[in-house]
Amino acid sequence: MHAEAPPALIFGWDPLWFATAVFAATYILVMTERINRAIVAMLAAGVMVLAGVLTQKQAVAGVDFNTLGLLTGMMVIVAITRKSGVFQYLAVWSAKKVKADPWGILVMLALVTALLSAFLDNVTTVLLVAPVTLLITETLKVSPYPYLFTQIFASNIGGTATLIGDPPNIMIGSAVGYTFNDFVIHLTPVVLVVLAATLVPVYLLWGRTLHAAADDRRRVMEYNEREAITDRRVLVQSLTVLAFVIAGFVAAHPLGQEPSTIALFGAAVLLLLDNYPRSAEEQTHGVHAALTEVEWVTLFFFLGLFIVVHALELTGALSLLAQYLLSLTGGDLGITAMVILWGSAIASAVVDNIPYVATTIPLIKAMAPTFGGHEALMPLWWSLSLGACLGGNGTLVGASANLIVAGMAERAGYRISFISFTLAAFPLMLLSIAISTLYIWLRYL
Amino acid sequence: MPGQTARDVMDPHPTVLGAGETLAKGIEYIMDKRFRNIPIVDEHGRYLGVFGVNCLLRLVLPQAVLMEDGLTNIAFVSDTLQDLRRRLQEVIHQPVTICLSDEATVLAPDTPLLETLLVLYQTRRSVPVVDPASRALLGVVSYWDVGRAILAQEL
Repeated sequence: MHAEAPPALIFGWDPLWFATAVFAATYILVMTERINRAIVAMLAAGVMVLAGVLTQKQAVAGVDFNTLGLLTGMMVIVAITRKSGVFQYLAVWSAKKVKADPWGILVMLALVTALLSAFLDNVTTVLLVAPVTLLITETLKVSPYPYLFTQIFASNIGGTATLIGDPPNIMIGSAVGYTFNDFVIHLTPVVLVVLAATLVPVYLLWGRTLHAAADDRRRVMEYNEREAITDRRVLVQSLTVLAFVIAGFVAAHPLGQEPSTIALFGAAVLLLLDNYPRSAEEQTHGVHAALTEVEWVTLFFFLGLFIVVHALELTGALSLLAQYLLSLTGGDLGITAMVILWGSAIASAVVDNIPYVATTIPLIKAMAPTFGGHEALMPLWWSLSLGACLGGNGTLVGASANLIVAGMAERAGYRISFISFTLAAFPLMLLSIAISTLYIWLRYL
Repeated sequence: MPGQTARDVMDPHPTVLGAGETLAKGIEYIMDKRFRNIPIVDEHGRYLGVFGVNCLLRLVLPQAVLMEDGLTNIAFVSDTLQDLRRRLQEVIHQPVTICLSDEATVLAPDTPLLETLLVLYQTRRSVPVVDPASRALLGVVSYWDVGRAILAQEL
């Protein structure tokens, strides 16, 4: 163990300051987006190992393979499932359920987005729902802006509800050992309240003015959602596997299994069903197509980031930061939870919440002795999750899904500007954090 | 003997659309004469771009399928010809320039003959011949012009 301690000085610097400098540079480069974030994270991880801040063995130990496996497995499952057209089916079906009423459609599409985001990644969800939204609003001759705005919110809110909905939750769940059920029990109730509360100002801002001609509503009602299903075999297979995977998440903990095992096994089963009994060449093509859909940039970003944060942790920088934070909050659990909740929300509104959460996890872990052990940290973990996930709604750059929707809107001829979005979104995000504050306070403090 | 160029096989008097003309006029040309694309010029005869038959489809298809990352399946939409007609009527009096594509390949008049044929083969549609300095539209090279020119040489 002694042999794995960092050298006394690295290029004349204390390892703690060297690691902090590399970490800060990584953060700045990720924020400025001048260099791809996966490249930045991998380079920074390499610098940490090559400079001797940590050994390769320590670097590998710092990588949370449970998070990577869960993300990869779900990406493969979604890549195959989306081929079936089921997500478009859901969107069209929901629009018809409310008789193509413009406000009703806005609410239904928000609910569909939130529901899908709870089980799929947010970017995939908005990529699937936003084009149908644009089609429907074009047919109804109403502005798509309130619809897309609400879907951004719904995707980030829905993603907060479960272990697999948003990367921060996957990281927290994996690092702390919280199960799928823990997230459903502790976060889903407040998420439902936040979603309902968000729709009230949306109605007051835009909903009251949404009207469509009877003839245009008739055209939406004539949509045949069954035609949105492009491959019934894939539909049955993928929904069956998805159902088993979610059931597996629920039962994983009692069975002593990790969520990543469930997700990767589900992905393997679905790949088998999707490709068997094709020829070897066709199978290679099919598997290659599914694996191409995996967001390798995100995975390598995570990989590098885990190493960088672990290096920072080993030098003691995060313990020092934790002690400093505790001195500010006077070691009071309630105040610390509120600082984490509101601090995470504000930070996540302007910076990527993945590096933020990756850094904050060891920071919170280091507070365990102060609060009487790891069990006592529960309010802090839920505060981190709510703050980091919901904070992404604060600005257009707060989450990837926000930028994806804005880009799609622009390509369709409707600009969602940073300022106009922030003016409406930031107060709404603060509302969601205020509700979360009340929830954390009443339930855990 | 000087090498032959695009100028030798182009039609020097092609049908063109003025920038101020309406989509209705452009559609009329395309439907009557079965052109796939027509050059658009300004009041000084300078080349601006082309109005293509593909734009006709773009005008009646929903934006949600035309954009990048848009819908790839709209079999669930059951719009009728009447719906398409109505959509077209909503834009038909707008200037033809809303359908202007300025990314179409153009040829310089001194482009060598074989190079001209290769461009024609690769683009698979008539190619405007434009003076590089003045941007004046000098003509259009089409399959038919080239075919006629080759057959005339044989005779």
